Amino acid sequence: MQFALPPRKSPHPLPIARSTRLPYHRRKQLKTVAIFAIAIATILYLFSHFTSSSSTSAVGPAGTTGVVIVTILDRKSFSESFIKKIVTNREDYAKRHGYTNFFASSSDFQEAVGDAPQSWGIIPAVRHAICKHPQTKYFFYLSAHALIMNPTQSLKSHLLDRAKLESLMMKDAPIVPPDSIIKTFTHLKEKDVDLIVTQDSEDLSPGSFILKNGDFARYFLDLWFDPLYRSYNFAKAETHGLDHIIQWHPTVLARTALVPQRLLNAYSKDSPSASADGIYRDGDLVLRFPGCEARGGDCEEMDPYYMLWQKRVKRA
Amino acid sequence: MSLSRSPSPHPGGGWSSPGLTPASGSSTPTRGFPHSHSPNTLAPNTAWAAAKAKSEEVRGYPSFSTRNSGFFSRQKSKISGRLPSFHGTKSPHGYVDKDVYGRERWYRSAGDARGVLGMILRRGRARLVLGLLLVCFGYLFLWGPLTRLYRRSPFGGGRKFVIILGSNVEGGVMELKGAREWAIERNSIWNKQEYATTWGYELEVVNLLAKKRYSHEWRESWEKGDVIRQTMRKYPDAEWFWWLDLNTWIMERDSSLQSEIFNSLDDGVYRDINENNPLNITHPLPEFYLDELGRSLEGDGKTDSLQMLLTQDCSGFNLGSFFLRRSLWTDRLLDAWWDPVMYEQMHMEWEHKEQDAFKYIYQSQPWIRSSVGFLPQRTINSFPPGACGDENNPTVHYQEGEHDLVVNMAGCSFGRDCWSEIYKYREISRRNNRSIFTILQDGVYKWVFGDTDSSSSV
Repeated sequence: MQFALPPRKSPHPLPIARSTRLPYHRRKQLKTVAIFAIAIATILYLFSHFTSSSSTSAVGPAGTTGVVIVTILDRKSFSESFIKKIVTNREDYAKRHGYTNFFASSSDFQEAVGDAPQSWGIIPAVRHAICKHPQTKYFFYLSAHALIMNPTQSLKSHLLDRAKLESLMMKDAPIVPPDSIIKTFTHLKEKDVDLIVTQDSEDLSPGSFILKNGDFARYFLDLWFDPLYRSYNFAKAETHGLDHIIQWHPTVLARTALVPQRLLNAYSKDSPSASADGIYRDGDLVLRFPGCEARGGDCEEMDPYYMLWQKRVKRA
Repeated sequence: MSLSRSPSPHPGGGWSSPGLTPASGSSTPTRGFPHSHSPNTLAPNTAWAAAKAKSEEVRGYPSFSTRNSGFFSRQKSKISGRLPSFHGTKSPHGYVDKDVYGRERWYRSAGDARGVLGMILRRGRARLVLGLLLVCFGYLFLWGPLTRLYRRSPFGGGRKFVIILGSNVEGGVMELKGAREWAIERNSIWNKQEYATTWGYELEVVNLLAKKRYSHEWRESWEKGDVIRQTMRKYPDAEWFWWLDLNTWIMERDSSLQSEIFNSLDDGVYRDINENNPLNITHPLPEFYLDELGRSLEGDGKTDSLQMLLTQDCSGFNLGSFFLRRSLWTDRLLDAWWDPVMYEQMHMEWEHKEQDAFKYIYQSQPWIRSSVGFLPQRTINSFPPGACGDENNPTVHYQEGEHDLVVNMAGCSFGRDCWSEIYKYREISRRNNRSIFTILQDGVYKWVFGDTDSSSSV
């Protein structure tokens, strides 16, 4: 008798059938082991993800609240009365809104600035202010030849508020007027803004700007103050230095919001370099006197406005 | 068994039925040939007749000889006839019934084999042996690919590292690229490829072709920065980017970057440049207007704030081999590194181009210092003798016994021979990283042929 297939003497169980014959407790053990393995793998995976995402953060949070107003006083060429006016003006504003004043003396930075024009002193002064007030969030540099004309308006409601700033900042605008090919970013968001600056009809204006404390502030100020810029003989010293770095360094530009001049930097009425809508009008926050700045020393043009301001303070 | 077909006819007329005799079909029967002679009757002087007969045999029946010419068809019955059988070859009836015998033997032997195997399997020790065998095979054939797979996975962390190799330097535009230059390029790229695949890193070989925009008085030598930025865009998940010049050799393929550097960043890195300060850089900065971070010796001291790792050789910063970490800080550094106003004033003085520019901004801009860490030179940038002095300086020069990771033939194109140096270190590295098999092989060679090892003569 021939068979197509040899008969099975001891039929081997199929591998699938074998698993069903595993003892019950063993299956249970295997199950727990598998569950544990999966759980551990998941935890490890999540853990590795969390550690990798947190590893890119830089130095801890700098300032969280508050504003410091930075003013540089040239005690050699300013008269006592002029200094007193400026100090009174700033202190009143600071007191109303809970801000802090930081008055720096330009002679302190003479050595740091070296042979370059003393106006470069703005940068170490702001750096020094940050050093003295590391917990403050905003640093508002305002030239000494400027008055805060609207004492009741806080910087927050005026400019720093998120929605406000996003509606005010100029997007896709030439950085150096009238027509530089480098323009501000169109997709800039308030959370990315570390520097708020204005421009007049010729340049960006370092006479009045707001800088957020943090890594960017260090980077921006150190770069701006580089000795090779100071030795380059820019015609307008730090003003052209600012034009230069914002145009050539996208990492600066990406954190800069350009706002219309009168928001932060309205010029007195006879200034030739004011932008189209840059002349002071009643109600503007700041009035700056570029003519006096260029001349140095006291500023007589300021007196009528100072009296106006005094009246306003009394009324308010 | 071949009983399914009719017995094949045989040359000379007879047939053989396969299965009866073990060698049937493979050899010709001795009788039945018309011209055959038995050896006894063959006279010594009739050799030609024998030869003729032989040739006739061959020519005689060509149509049949094709039938059994295949190896398997000729040997089939032999092979099957030799299959093992575990029980006696005779049937219990005492006679051989060829049909039943054959079939009986077939299924019985198969069944017995299964039974024996099962018996062995039932014994625990044999199962262990089988398991070990499996593990051995798994190790031999799967271990390498599996570890590589793991290292490239998110757990292994290999893809956090990108090696950027600057290749095709100036692309033969200024000087002709000869065989040596090509050899350097080929070998150097191969070396990094090996290392990258072993550890699951990414390798980006970049083309540093001479271009006008990177030539003198444009953005000289600034391709390094641009290339790093492009690579960072290309590998968005990577964290550390390792720049390597072409004239470098990774000596230890089996040491990972993690184990050599990044698992112990706190211990391996110094931030206070005073520890080794060939440039006499004032550190920390004395300026009163700087904040604590700007004036601190060691930055903020946190490992997380390290964004750049480089080494110093005998004359200061060396950027032949350095690490950059993806971060805002790095973006800013790459942005500030080259500036037209600085370059315009300094391009005649900055002999080493971007290296000098970096040295300059490290000195002049305090924000940079707090995130730069220095590695001891031999961690990633050992020099061969000839760079930084000819005498062996253990802080600068490669020490063969201590398994330095990388050798950088710095300055070899100035009066030294790049290719012979690369070749030398390639051989040293090969000798240092031999597998056990190769070591044994080499030992045997040495033993047999004496000390004629080619690598030791280099």
